[in-house]
Amino acid sequence: MLGLLETGSGFWSSIIWIVAVLIIGSIVIYIRNKGEDSYKKNTEQDKPFISGNPEPSKEGSHISASHIYWGFKEALKGYYNPLGKMHTGNINDYSGWIVIVTVIILIMVGVGG
Amino acid sequence: MDKVKLNKYFERSLWVFHLNTGSCNGCDIEIVASLTPRYDLERFGIKLVGSPKHADVLLVTGPVTGRMADRVKRVYEQTPDPKAVIVVGTCGTSGGVFYNSYNLKGSVDKVIPVDVYVPGCPARPEAIINGVLQAWIKLEKLRESMKAAPAK
Repeated sequence: MLGLLETGSGFWSSIIWIVAVLIIGSIVIYIRNKGEDSYKKNTEQDKPFISGNPEPSKEGSHISASHIYWGFKEALKGYYNPLGKMHTGNINDYSGWIVIVTVIILIMVGVGG
Repeated sequence: MDKVKLNKYFERSLWVFHLNTGSCNGCDIEIVASLTPRYDLERFGIKLVGSPKHADVLLVTGPVTGRMADRVKRVYEQTPDPKAVIVVGTCGTSGGVFYNSYNLKGSVDKVIPVDVYVPGCPARPEAIINGVLQAWIKLEKLRESMKAAPAK
């Protein structure tokens, strides 16, 4: 289990991995301990700096995955907004779309040959 | 200031956070001028930082507007101890031409404690550098007193 595993694209050694984690972890702990430790806990010094603005609640400052795509969705909102409206959540609407699209495809195939 | 004393005060770099509380930017331009090659404050280790949490000194410009008062207090509280506050410009010192304006809280010392005043409209870079030096001296004294009696 602790031996060297060689593959076509390299090797894997759990011993090397553990040693690397210990060395990197030690460096991280050392750098962290060099930081300022005289700050006053449970005061403003303990809170993030947001240009002097108060820190919003954790729920209010939640960043969801959709925020990552905000610029993309904003630029293509002409496309996304009607698409979003089509997603009514009603199965009858979705069945209707299947029928409409099927008819269009059949017409295209029938007319185009 | 004799050489021995100056060396003592230059033991470590001084990091400064610049906060505009309603300035017209005149003083802010002079602060930038003090960092340009003509004065080059950075050769002494004095540099502007992007967060008060990294700063030793708050450099405040402008009178405190109503909307900034709360933020100035918060930034002051977020600055680690020991800290010094320098007010640059007449507006921050006394309100200047905006004195008693309806939308001002007033001079900076009405909102947070101030250690050094650098008057001028705008203050000259030489005056700002002298103000920073005065704050540095005060800060070193604070550091020494904190070392003598560490905070619990």
